[in-house]
Amino acid sequence: MTDLEALDELLRAEEGDAGCDAGVPIMDQYVEIELRGEDPGERFPGTAIHLRVCPGCRADHAGVLEAARRFGDLDPG
Amino acid sequence: MTVERSSADDHASRRWVEQLHADHPAHDDAVARLHDVLRRAAVHELRRRRAALEGPELDDVAQQCADDAMMSILKRIDDFQGLSRFTTWAYKFVIFEVSAKLARHAWRHHPPSTDDLTWDRLPDTLAPRPGEQAERREQLTELTRAIDEELTPRQRDVFVAIALNDASIDVLALQLQSNRNAIYKNLFDARRKLRASLAAAGYPLAGEEVRA
Repeated sequence: MTDLEALDELLRAEEGDAGCDAGVPIMDQYVEIELRGEDPGERFPGTAIHLRVCPGCRADHAGVLEAARRFGDLDPG
Repeated sequence: MTVERSSADDHASRRWVEQLHADHPAHDDAVARLHDVLRRAAVHELRRRRAALEGPELDDVAQQCADDAMMSILKRIDDFQGLSRFTTWAYKFVIFEVSAKLARHAWRHHPPSTDDLTWDRLPDTLAPRPGEQAERREQLTELTRAIDEELTPRQRDVFVAIALNDASIDVLALQLQSNRNAIYKNLFDARRKLRASLAAAGYPLAGEEVRA
């Protein structure tokens, strides 16, 4: 990464970023779209931008995706 | 907007919602089954995030995450709209609990130091080096000035802690008695201001134009 790229990353603030709160209610839908192999950014573009920048929300998103993949669907019995 | 329900209008999701209602005869079994998978998901997530926890302490935190997630799910069971599978909706609650509890644990044991929050100068990795191009030095001088003069005290604290000193956004939110969304907004606004200042001074970054 060049110095200019490092500075650009340090000051990364993208237009259209939906912020943290917008992702909370739709995180499960976002993950399911990914699990279907589709692009969640088409339906939730602001959250897609946000997840590229916010480390906290990115970790949460990765956790929900990992849980859904690993533990999958489950029948109540 | 068209709402897709294909994956969510499934039999298992409907049964979860029915059985988790307190008056259903299978309620207790459904709660136990869901709690078990939430606890296992919490253990996995704590390990995935390389939490500074192990053994009984990790198990205890995972149990608390599953307990609190379960309470939230039962309280909001009628809010489930079937826009995802029920289990994916439920995993969201336990992952958010893991995130919150890890932040609280980190804040209790390693709160941000005064150095993390105090603006002094750019870190060595960004500071101009001898022999570097004059334009680069001037760009970083302008950045330093803008951090000093253009940001509000709150924006400066947040930018310095997170962008320059790599503090966790959730730990900082606890330290500043705020929340992740508000801290992120401070950071976002600080970055926009700094980018604009660089552009105005003739040192635009990608996507910015020089402003006369």
